[in-house]
Amino acid sequence: MSISRPTLRPHHVDELAAIIRENADGLRVRGAGGWMYAGQPVRASHELHLDAFSGVRSYTPGDLTISVGAATTLAELDACTRAQGQWCPLLAWGDDSGSVGATIATATSGPFADSLGRPRDLVLGLECVDGRGRVIRAGGRVVKNVAGFDLTRLVTGSWGTLAVITELHLRLRARPVADRTYYIDGASAEQIRAFARGAFAPLAAVPLSGELARTLGHSSHAAWLLRVAGNPAFVGAAQTALASLGACVEMPESAWGLVRRELAPATPLAGWQWSPLAARVKRAFDPRDVLNPGLLGTAA
Amino acid sequence: MTLRASASSILEADLARIVGARHVVTRPTALLAYETDALPGYAHRPSVAVFPGTRDEVVAVMRRLAQDGLPFVARGAGTGLSGGALADGVVLLGLNRLKRIIHIDAEARTATLEPGVVNAMLSREVAPLGLHYAPDPSSQSACTLGGNLAENAGGPHCLKYGVTLNHVLRATVVLPDGEVVELDRGDAGGYDLLGAFVGSEGCFGVALELTVKLTPNPEGVITMLADFATLRAAAEATSRIIAAGILPAALELMDQPTIRAVEESIYAAGYPTDAAAVLLIEVDGALAGLEADADAVTVLCAEAGARTVKRATDADARAKLWQGRKKAFGAMGRVAPHLVVQDAVVPRTMLADLLEDIATIGTNHGVRVCNVFHAGDGNLHPNIPYDASNAEESARVHAAMSEIMTRCIAAGGSITGEHGVGLDKLPYMEQLFTPDTLDAMCSLRETFDAERRANPGKVVPLRSCREWHVTAAGRA
Repeated sequence: MSISRPTLRPHHVDELAAIIRENADGLRVRGAGGWMYAGQPVRASHELHLDAFSGVRSYTPGDLTISVGAATTLAELDACTRAQGQWCPLLAWGDDSGSVGATIATATSGPFADSLGRPRDLVLGLECVDGRGRVIRAGGRVVKNVAGFDLTRLVTGSWGTLAVITELHLRLRARPVADRTYYIDGASAEQIRAFARGAFAPLAAVPLSGELARTLGHSSHAAWLLRVAGNPAFVGAAQTALASLGACVEMPESAWGLVRRELAPATPLAGWQWSPLAARVKRAFDPRDVLNPGLLGTAA
Repeated sequence: MTLRASASSILEADLARIVGARHVVTRPTALLAYETDALPGYAHRPSVAVFPGTRDEVVAVMRRLAQDGLPFVARGAGTGLSGGALADGVVLLGLNRLKRIIHIDAEARTATLEPGVVNAMLSREVAPLGLHYAPDPSSQSACTLGGNLAENAGGPHCLKYGVTLNHVLRATVVLPDGEVVELDRGDAGGYDLLGAFVGSEGCFGVALELTVKLTPNPEGVITMLADFATLRAAAEATSRIIAAGILPAALELMDQPTIRAVEESIYAAGYPTDAAAVLLIEVDGALAGLEADADAVTVLCAEAGARTVKRATDADARAKLWQGRKKAFGAMGRVAPHLVVQDAVVPRTMLADLLEDIATIGTNHGVRVCNVFHAGDGNLHPNIPYDASNAEESARVHAAMSEIMTRCIAAGGSITGEHGVGLDKLPYMEQLFTPDTLDAMCSLRETFDAERRANPGKVVPLRSCREWHVTAAGRA
């Protein structure tokens, strides 16, 4: 979906604040690309490109935290942390060409949300500019922090309708020593479910359609993709347990790329409705409705 | 009878009609019980304390208070450590009678309950199902889940399992104007108003009901005690374990003053009293691989300079090792009549430097700092035993704490990791956050509580709220 609008490209957060304060007819926020459509048309005079807010701002591997510009892609974040044996396991639906800012702004999780955390669990703090032009530095860079009201959680998942995110402070984890992906054929859904709730709880267990199984080079209508991670002794024992459930084939990690692309929810905002409280929040942070106006529908 | 006195007796009569006369406390001597929380140094007496017994009574009380525009402070068990539940001449709303577990869903691994349920009671209740509630503040045998929600409480096992925010799925909340709203994580898309509410320290409204995640009990647990000749070596071992990709269930550090206080008390856990620091490390999970994690931890501690690493595998030995940690605050009670339990966070790589700075600050002010804290998270708890009735000593304690806070902020940390801002940390908010950020916090609060009646004067300094200034000036 592409609507041609004049583009604004701020290079500094104060410049961004001035643009927001001066805009009257709406800004469509854009990180790396088109994640923000959400099935609702945005009424905006200008497109706001954030590509200048890109790159790693600070990274001390020993702290297991990183600060990145919002337009940094998930691929860049992954490459940079992988080099240190770490990761920020956002692993969102879609692919790694998306920006970190858009992932957090839309709270897009993925197949590993229940085991590795959702965006709300992985963001420690952020810098953003709200619809009033206030430069907000919410949360912090440390892994535990309850100082003040939680603007970080408020902005995460607000689809750029309250504030434009410019920088993110994220929690990292050490990559597991052993990390294996298995294709299982012939196990019942009950068996997989019991396995997933047991001591060998996998990072994810996803049922595969016949078509997905074929794309992965197999043919079955009752196959599953599972990912098990931990130390080698744990993963070895888990594999033995899995192999007793059905035909078990080890797959490359890249199989999850396919799952993340193919199983992404088509309508991420299907359950969204404006409540009176949500409408008050919108008015408090973007009273002139200039940030992604219309994207969440119209507040009552 | 003055006009004011008659207004308050009308209020008391109305509250008594809602909750029953014996659940409205008005006698000054009885109100004494509510003038402090677990942090010494602050005492504020409420004008009246009211204890509703049902969700409907809470809503009715809130609507009655809204009718007269009266400020109020919600309170659970009063175990908070920031002065957050103190009501200075206003109505205190006690929620500890709402202690019903409404529903346990073993299949979905969730529990729906009232805010006055005690943290440890929930875990005890679901133990037969092989489940527990993961966040475990040291006060867990007394503190309520409503209070945990308000404070975004943590605990030793939050290193692996996450804090309250990560375990609450839904909440039904009554706002100060009496409106009842359902809050969720935004899973169906859109604003995470639950996330905004968690940790709002009673300034946004009152939880009537919450749904929390239950965590399966691990198949195996190994608890270890590593002892070190220097604090720096203990901090180094912490960094090495985290960096190695092992995520312990808990990684707690106790320094020598803490070890000695514990060992001289009835809670003696067998910690080596000549150690500069001990690390209490717990790994849990599937039996397969558990020994391997414990072995790796042992090697990493030894490489960082541990003198010995002791391992407890049976329940009794584990309980003994944990007793010293969980009762450390109690043990410090033997040292002096009062104890300031501080709470700050620093980047993990700065732990060793910060501990040395804290020791220097303590020496300079002539106070004894005992460190017992969540090392894996970089969440410090420098504690100072003292006599609050000694004004000169209190002043020195205050000066030392304030210097420690400033140092943590300068290190890129935070002024609180799990206790909240309350009254105690108000003076540091303007050092930690920019004026725009504090103003935005005020905006957020106002969407929940337009009249700013819920827990007035806490968390964000009033002067940081620009519009409130304008309003106040306009009214003057």
